[in-house]
Amino acid sequence: MNASRALFSLLVTVALAAPVLADGPAIGAPAPAFDLKTLDGKPFSLADAEKSNKAVVLMFIATKCPVSNAYNDRMRDIANEYGKKGILFVGINSNSTETESEVKAHAQEHGFGFTLVKDPANKVADLYGAQHTPEIFIVGPDGKLLYHGRIDENQEQPTKVASPDLKNALNEILAGQPVAKAETKAFGCSIKRV
Amino acid sequence: MNTNSDFGFRIPNWRAAVFAALLVLPNGTAVAADAPRLAGDLDAKGLADAVAKDHGKVVVVNFWATWCVPCREEYSDLVRLEKAYRGRGVAVLGVSIDFSKDLPKVEKFLAANHPEFPNYMKRSGGDDQDFIDAVDPKWGGELPFTVVYARDGKKARVLSGKQTYADFERAVTDLLKP
Repeated sequence: MNASRALFSLLVTVALAAPVLADGPAIGAPAPAFDLKTLDGKPFSLADAEKSNKAVVLMFIATKCPVSNAYNDRMRDIANEYGKKGILFVGINSNSTETESEVKAHAQEHGFGFTLVKDPANKVADLYGAQHTPEIFIVGPDGKLLYHGRIDENQEQPTKVASPDLKNALNEILAGQPVAKAETKAFGCSIKRV
Repeated sequence: MNTNSDFGFRIPNWRAAVFAALLVLPNGTAVAADAPRLAGDLDAKGLADAVAKDHGKVVVVNFWATWCVPCREEYSDLVRLEKAYRGRGVAVLGVSIDFSKDLPKVEKFLAANHPEFPNYMKRSGGDDQDFIDAVDPKWGGELPFTVVYARDGKKARVLSGKQTYADFERAVTDLLKP
């Protein structure tokens, strides 16, 4: 068996062995581990990232979704602010309809300084049960899910946000407190799965 | 029906609105005189009231947005479903989740699709989580999303994501059975 066939066989085996979860992890449950390459070609391992950061924020985002795009500046600013405090932000694009080059161009256009990964065949979205963009998951240093939901409640008017849920959760995590509002909801664009 | 609108006008009922005079939207886009118009805006209570007005019918409530591609793709099947089943005790309601600034896009979408059922916009302001949870606590906010109420007004089916005509038809025919 040549190397490419062996790789194909391995991938098929992994795909068959790893069930697609309809629902993601519950708050407090272990966050599914995954390994991907960042858009600048570096390896990314969630397990490694958990060990070296106070928390990891996984952000399922899109380039063409108006709701996700309404949060571009907020995501950039929150990542800049909390990145300095030991929180790692990872933007995950799971949409089959958006190419790696589009994701790179979009990130450059909006000044994203956070890590970006493309999620081939939406496997990570399936692991987490992510349904739409933007959708946030915070993973603690012990690998457990601490928060799932939205960035805030006001998609349209960033200056009138009354419930900055992601920031509140991060502040509580940094203070060593439990996240009081660990699950929130908002409307969003469905993830375009294969 | 809720007739108080954030849009700056009052709509007495959707049938009258269908025959409204030529409408010029805020962006200057003209919509044909016979184009379907929004029936107004509503919050969770307004939606419950709208569903209750069709008590005795199977009521299909579809949540959609112009920015949602699968919503746009399935919408024509809802238009078709309503025409096919209106005489058999089925009512359809549409609820747009678009941003209020996108009202012109919503009107344009309705004009292009000619629904013969009322469509509302979710009232802006408030916390969307309250609206989502009031519609269905298991709804995560993804669109499209469709809830089917039985003749007794109770929630009977929840359809998450894009549906086919056969999916919609199956949901209502199951509930029409005596």
